[in-house]
Amino acid sequence: MDPLLDIQNLSLVFDTFDGTYHAIDDVSLSLKPGEALGLVGETGCGKSVLTRAAFGLVPSPPARITQGSVKLDGMELLGLSDRALRQVRGRQVAMIFQDPMTYLNPVFKVGTQLVDAIRAQHGGAIDRKAAREIALDMLEKVHLPNPLRQFESYPHELSGGMRQRILIAMALAARPKLLIADEPTTALDVTIQAQILDLMAELVDDMNLSMIMISHDLGVVAQVCSRVAVMYAGKIVEDAPIRDIFDSPLHPYTQGLLGALPHPFRPADDLESIPGNLPDLLDPPPGCRFAGRCTYRRPECTVPISLENVEPGHSVACVLRPGEAATTDSATKDLNHA
Amino acid sequence: MLEIENLKVHFPLPSGQTVRAVDGLTLKIAPGETMGLVGESGSGKSTVGKAALRLVDSTSGVIRIGDLDVTKARGRQMRKLRSRAQMVFQDPHSSLNPRMTIRRAVAEGLILNTSLRGKALRDKVAEMLEAMGLPAQFHDRFPHELSGGQKQRVCIARALALDPELLVLDEPTSALDVSVQAQILRVLRSLHEARPELTQLFISHNLAVVRFLCQSVAVMYLGRIVEMGPVDRVFDAPSHPYTKALLSAVPVPEATRRPDRIRLQGDIPSPTALPTGCAFHTRCPIAKKDVCNVQEPPRIELQDGRLVRCHFALGSAPE
Repeated sequence: MDPLLDIQNLSLVFDTFDGTYHAIDDVSLSLKPGEALGLVGETGCGKSVLTRAAFGLVPSPPARITQGSVKLDGMELLGLSDRALRQVRGRQVAMIFQDPMTYLNPVFKVGTQLVDAIRAQHGGAIDRKAAREIALDMLEKVHLPNPLRQFESYPHELSGGMRQRILIAMALAARPKLLIADEPTTALDVTIQAQILDLMAELVDDMNLSMIMISHDLGVVAQVCSRVAVMYAGKIVEDAPIRDIFDSPLHPYTQGLLGALPHPFRPADDLESIPGNLPDLLDPPPGCRFAGRCTYRRPECTVPISLENVEPGHSVACVLRPGEAATTDSATKDLNHA
Repeated sequence: MLEIENLKVHFPLPSGQTVRAVDGLTLKIAPGETMGLVGESGSGKSTVGKAALRLVDSTSGVIRIGDLDVTKARGRQMRKLRSRAQMVFQDPHSSLNPRMTIRRAVAEGLILNTSLRGKALRDKVAEMLEAMGLPAQFHDRFPHELSGGQKQRVCIARALALDPELLVLDEPTSALDVSVQAQILRVLRSLHEARPELTQLFISHNLAVVRFLCQSVAVMYLGRIVEMGPVDRVFDAPSHPYTKALLSAVPVPEATRRPDRIRLQGDIPSPTALPTGCAFHTRCPIAKKDVCNVQEPPRIELQDGRLVRCHFALGSAPE
């Protein structure tokens, strides 16, 4: 099957007064139709910039895409005019974000905003009444209680969970092929988060939607996604089915992330913490960007490395191969705890 | 060590309504124990922490730290309270003065409360910071020169400088990345050994973190504790339907999804208009008409020492 989204060798830099900041470096990522991919990494790893840059949402200057290509359904997006990109965004690709309040206008009723958005998605080709029908239909799809009443509400009258449902309804009203969800539940309470994650899993199935969910939480991603790409310092270091990420993570950074995560139902004696800090992306190391913090570091880690397929569907950017890490595992644990 | 009895903290609103942030809360923490206080936003957990340190005034009830009555303390006793109980907040950046070096930030409490001066003071501050993994080259830096994890370690060092008996931690890791959170959690857990006398109240919405750090846990809903007991018992065999729902909503970092999920409908009700009877009955999957919406549930003690506020804690709940 041809990929729906195909990002190849994308690099993006920010020109700053201190020099060139290499935010995204030679990233390739593709998504099949109907697939839900989790893009996971810590603050500053470039996960949001990557998805925004792909759809022309990173202002240039200061950003500059230095190489690569982004294809949606076979159509190259890089180099498209703003006008053409706007046709893609909203209709073929929709996005939802972390803080739903920021993306709703506080002085207009929710219904008005939905109708306006839906009319814009149709290029103004439908009237308000038809748009209202679509909006109410969508609100039902996202299980918003009492849609008719909420239609007349202002955003501040709604809870965080309800606002996020409204934004999901707005995003999906145009039946986009791809949904980008950037930390959609981070601002929500855990019980509400569970509701929204259930909803997203349901919509991915029902609407045959493809999704990239950005998150710093592997637990959240595991609820919805079937595949995970782990980013570190502007690069994808591992890309694998969700089961492999948890059962046999290959990249030392992925292993570190998992070891740092406390488990609610398993008492742990200790957690791993990853020593050191992110490398300076104004002057990134030439080889593996994680090498400076890696306990398996070898001389060959200073040579540039790219993602390589090691098992079906499982790629990793590391000189270690399956099995090699396991042999030194206990030694590393001791080192980490020292 | 920390004893709270029937605490109420109410905030009047200009509209004439009252926010019942804490509404009849009772808990006890033994000396040296670390208790987790969990609940959703709006459950009142932070207000409890602040009331325990008298950062907000309580409406009624008793709070005791050792022999000190917090709600009645004045003057000299307040000063004593400040050195016996300390707090670490969620956002380390906004809780450090940007114009003070971290050495000065840690020294401030010592200057105000002890007679340490000069070299003795310097040494004490250095010792506190170094115990938190911040070597000498950091001590003259300003907060903006440190990472989030380093700043939070400064806050912990500052809180511990006066050798408090009680440490209240209000979501100390929620603003941090996973790998940095792990670092802070390890620091806090090492305190169990380094300072066995220190009592900790750890406020968090992250249940996995509470499991790692705490010996006991209290689950709050709308200003009250609905379940309290040893952390392993509460997590492995929750009794209150809210605890069950909360635990089954936690995203578990593993590939297989858990089948036994309970989903709560809707949102937490407003603390200005608490539901009658059991405050949880509006969202409870086992609520029974004419019981839960009318009567306040009793405080039931289970055999393992757990306290549960539910009409059906001893069984006879409709499955």
